[in-house]
Amino acid sequence: MKKGFERGILSSYDYKKKGNWIGFSMMIVVVAAMVASMLYPILSALFNGFKANTEVNSFPPRFLPSEWHFGNWGEAWSYIELPQFLKNTLMIFGGNMVVTVLVLGMAAFSLSKLNVPYQKGIYFFFMITLFIPPSTYLIPNFLNLRDLGLLNSFAAFWLPAGASAFFLLLLKNFFDGIHYEMIEAARIDGASDWQTFIRIAVPLSIPIFATLAIFVFSTAWNEWFWPSLVMHSDSKYPLATAIYKYVISARRLDLNIRFAILSMVMLPPIVIFLLFQKFIMRGLHIGGVKG
Amino acid sequence: MNQPVAPNPIPLDASYRKTPKWRKHIWGYLFLLPAAVIFIMFLWVPIVKGMFYSFYDIDFVKGNTFVGFDNYRTVFDDGDVWIAVKNTLYYMFLCIVIGFWVPILFAIAISELRRFQGFVRVAAYLPNVVPAVVLYGLWRWFYDPVGPINGFLTQTGAESISFLTDRAWSMISLVLMETWQQFGSAMLIYLAAVLSIPKDWYEAAEIDGAGIFRRIWHITLPSIRGLILLLFLLQLIGTSQGFQSQLALLDGGPNKATLTYALLIVKYATAKLDYGVASALGVLMFLVLGGLAVLQYRLNNKGGAGV
Repeated sequence: MKKGFERGILSSYDYKKKGNWIGFSMMIVVVAAMVASMLYPILSALFNGFKANTEVNSFPPRFLPSEWHFGNWGEAWSYIELPQFLKNTLMIFGGNMVVTVLVLGMAAFSLSKLNVPYQKGIYFFFMITLFIPPSTYLIPNFLNLRDLGLLNSFAAFWLPAGASAFFLLLLKNFFDGIHYEMIEAARIDGASDWQTFIRIAVPLSIPIFATLAIFVFSTAWNEWFWPSLVMHSDSKYPLATAIYKYVISARRLDLNIRFAILSMVMLPPIVIFLLFQKFIMRGLHIGGVKG
Repeated sequence: MNQPVAPNPIPLDASYRKTPKWRKHIWGYLFLLPAAVIFIMFLWVPIVKGMFYSFYDIDFVKGNTFVGFDNYRTVFDDGDVWIAVKNTLYYMFLCIVIGFWVPILFAIAISELRRFQGFVRVAAYLPNVVPAVVLYGLWRWFYDPVGPINGFLTQTGAESISFLTDRAWSMISLVLMETWQQFGSAMLIYLAAVLSIPKDWYEAAEIDGAGIFRRIWHITLPSIRGLILLLFLLQLIGTSQGFQSQLALLDGGPNKATLTYALLIVKYATAKLDYGVASALGVLMFLVLGGLAVLQYRLNNKGGAGV
């Protein structure tokens, strides 16, 4: 018998009991309240960006603007050099992505398909770093970059991007799912290992690269503390660090303009998330709990 | 390797068989080389350097000098370290009490939704994609003495609360903010696990006369027990290193009430420029957290998470 929906914890029989209905409705109310409390702050940030400054400061605050001031966004755009900082963020994102795909992609391909001797030990050497808490070597990491002379350069982000055991794990798990026969077939056709990687493995891995891209993008977009340590000039700060320095810590900045800037920074990741939900959810599942 | 190895279809000729092992695998190793170099240069070297530097006085101008255990002595003599340890434990405790059970509860509730489940998932995850700096700006306004929360409180006749400047509230406010942002991702992980529980188990339990709560207690929760344990451990490891919102919103204040251990490390490095002591603090933290990491490793292997 095919029902309208598969049963969950509750069966269709449970729905018929009155007491359960009350409980179920209460649960729905709680979930609805949760949804509202998730959306309310985000929307109020957005709407505050369109209010007159006096209205943002009025007490008690209102949710919707009584008058829409679209000019706030223009003022916000020119308050700091957003395009410059945006460019820096994108530079970091692009470089990190290239390094991740090439360096970790090759390593994961080798571990997954090339059967080198001592593979287990090598894999362990990479994976064990997942278990070392990053805060414990935060400062030595900074000193190391300094010793290498990489401070205040984009290379300080690009090169270490290849040192992510988590991404290596994601890629290796994905390559493990590629059938060995494909690799074998390429070999028979005379492809070298490099050609197999570039012509077979990489094109097949576009979905996992998309998932990775979202992770890498969100790190590049969000990270504010580490860049503030490593970079020390306006021409190098990524967006998040610049916002922290010049907007969050600013004393004399009207609240409505502040919210307009924050909305500008918040909207791109939200839009990307809504567009690429599928990849993000997949990433959560593959990554399991390591995200 | 969990790939079934197919019998090699190509007959091996004599010259192939004679190829030395390293030569056959040269490409395999070349592929691993860049990653190995980068892991060593940007992970292992800093880790080892940290231990090394903890015995040195770091001076960018005059050069480093060996000082033996002086840095460690400074750590143990510094009263702030004990405050920071206490604050970190308090922060971890609050994160569990306020934040840990929320995603489990909502995962079970949302798994029962027949409609709008997709929408609810997206809404719950949405705060996760809000950048941290926006989060700080937004919640600073929320917690403001004349912000919306206090507006609501005074309208309903309650006393207003100074969320950030009151020592008793400051840490709680940070944890509430972080729970708001982060619970969605944990919720989605739990939700996937809850949805994968075979439905006939509930059917069987129901026929045996188990009520709704007994079904949850005896079927749902035990099925995701391993996951709960793992996420619990990951949360402990994560929160024990927390410092960013404490730094951004309150700079460890008011009166050191939100000065966590990791924040103290950062402050030693950025404010006092004492990198030696900061490294020593890191080594000590590593020794303490190492135990947790071993637990995580063993749990991960048991759970078959792939590492």
